Amino acid sequence: MTDTARPLDAAAPPGAARLPRIMLRRAEPWLYLAPALGVLLVWTYIPLLEAFELSFHEWNMLPRAEPRYVGLQNYQNLLSLPDMRQAVWNTLLYTLGLLPMAVLIPLAVAILTQDLHGRWRNLYRTLIFVPMIVAPIVAAILWRWLLNEDHGMVNALLAGAGLPKIGFLSDPQVALWTLVWITGWKLIGFATLLFSAANAGINPAYVEAARMDGATRWQIVRDIRLPLLSPTILLLTMMTILFGAQWSFVYINALTGGGPLRSTTNVYYVMWEYGFRSMTAGWSTAAGMMTFAVLGGVALLLLRVMKRYAVYDE
Amino acid sequence: MTNDRLWHRLAVHGVMIALSVLALFPVLWMVVTSIKPANEVFSLRLWPERPTLEHYAFVTGAMPILRILWNTFLMAATTAAAQVATGLLSAYALVRWRFPGGRLAQSLIALSWLVPFQVVMIPNYVLATQLGLLNSLAGLVIPNAAAAFAVLLLYGAMRGFPREVIEAARMDGAGSFRILWQVVVPNLRAPLAALSILAFISAWNDYFWPLLLIRRMDSSVIQIGLQFFMTQEGNDWGPLMAAATLASIPILGLYLVLHRQVIDSFMRSGIR
Repeated sequence: MTDTARPLDAAAPPGAARLPRIMLRRAEPWLYLAPALGVLLVWTYIPLLEAFELSFHEWNMLPRAEPRYVGLQNYQNLLSLPDMRQAVWNTLLYTLGLLPMAVLIPLAVAILTQDLHGRWRNLYRTLIFVPMIVAPIVAAILWRWLLNEDHGMVNALLAGAGLPKIGFLSDPQVALWTLVWITGWKLIGFATLLFSAANAGINPAYVEAARMDGATRWQIVRDIRLPLLSPTILLLTMMTILFGAQWSFVYINALTGGGPLRSTTNVYYVMWEYGFRSMTAGWSTAAGMMTFAVLGGVALLLLRVMKRYAVYDE
Repeated sequence: MTNDRLWHRLAVHGVMIALSVLALFPVLWMVVTSIKPANEVFSLRLWPERPTLEHYAFVTGAMPILRILWNTFLMAATTAAAQVATGLLSAYALVRWRFPGGRLAQSLIALSWLVPFQVVMIPNYVLATQLGLLNSLAGLVIPNAAAAFAVLLLYGAMRGFPREVIEAARMDGAGSFRILWQVVVPNLRAPLAALSILAFISAWNDYFWPLLLIRRMDSSVIQIGLQFFMTQEGNDWGPLMAAATLASIPILGLYLVLHRQVIDSFMRSGIR
């Protein structure tokens, strides 16, 4: 349905009266694109440039205060800050912690349950998807209640079994993993459905042929299913790596405030704190720029990996 | 062999039941806790001895929850409508014409999804303040009036549209907008419905931008209302669960009616 926007027919005489029409036809696609591009320019791309500029300034975000140019000082300060090192390390932990819940377990479940059909399949689908549509702040409240130290159900059950209570949100050794768990809880069912759909799309002739050749169940999984599932595996891995730490922001803000002892903070939370708690716009944007640069690099790398290693059924 | 089969089936159902319980139990526990009288809140009973709505009465007294839910509905519906409209127009432009700058425009739209909101939040906040958008629903909608996933989803859906139909309409002298409106749109009902659902739920559940923009309870949306409530009534579990239940009812209700379409719409456009 593509046709060219330049109907400059060589045979048509270049008349003055035609000019506005030609201009209009050239502008036509842009008129359709204008609303979306306008919003994205005003609220994403220009702010991105402004943030870049702000990262070389010192500014307390008061309208009457003038931002003061400080060169690379914000970056230097951030890089030497133990706070930031902790945040970067935690960001890594969030990402790694989410991978099993967003990729490995859903993949295994999807392959194990591929024979399910009909009513049961639909029922399970409907149930395991629910966390995905639960609002993040509601998820935070739910788990805060279930994991409450004094009265929460999980600790009550642990106590009933004679085990010690766990400070899910107050123990610095545990809190980050609690937040990873909540983030993953929302994703696990949805990721399973994505894998199931991809798995169901595999041409049964391949599996049948392998079976005829005497392949074992595991061989079929390893040599046929996993390669053909690789686009979905890589996609979910990429989404988790790029966005996992961002997804946990709500839970950090609502449940721990980055504590205890900074154990649950990550780079996105640090940006938020610098920006809207301590009002140091320069630090926040400098942290943002560094994060964005790393994120962009990782995204490029992952896209290349995807192109190279994903197996498509041609 | 049949024995083996049986075990396999048991394992399959076992795994799915475990996953279902894991997904559903926290939500059920929220509802159950919300209807337990104060002296039963800490018990582990799966159903209250004397179910009560007292916590709901408390919540409706403590914050203007109906007002807040209405705000949220307006915000989410407008955002979804705007994203569908801008997405439809852009996708049409990208599919219909090949023109200089078209690829660039497409990349700009697609790449915007890579920019984390936290990176641009300060300039956004400053701009919203200058435009007088603080504490307003318009301020929640306008920056989200276009979304990369909306354009990409509709682009994918439109690309498969048969070119001959467009050509025929063009021969009949239909203008480009009329073709979009009378020929393309009626054939895109399923993806448009999917996108609307997805955009509505995403907007309803959005947390970060409202957190920056909204400082007053009466212009609040539900996610922020809950956050206020949690900060104030932190460990008053009955009312807190009642508030969380009220906040979830519209979305869960939608899901109850349209679960197939909701799942489908999320599957179409990936995660974000």
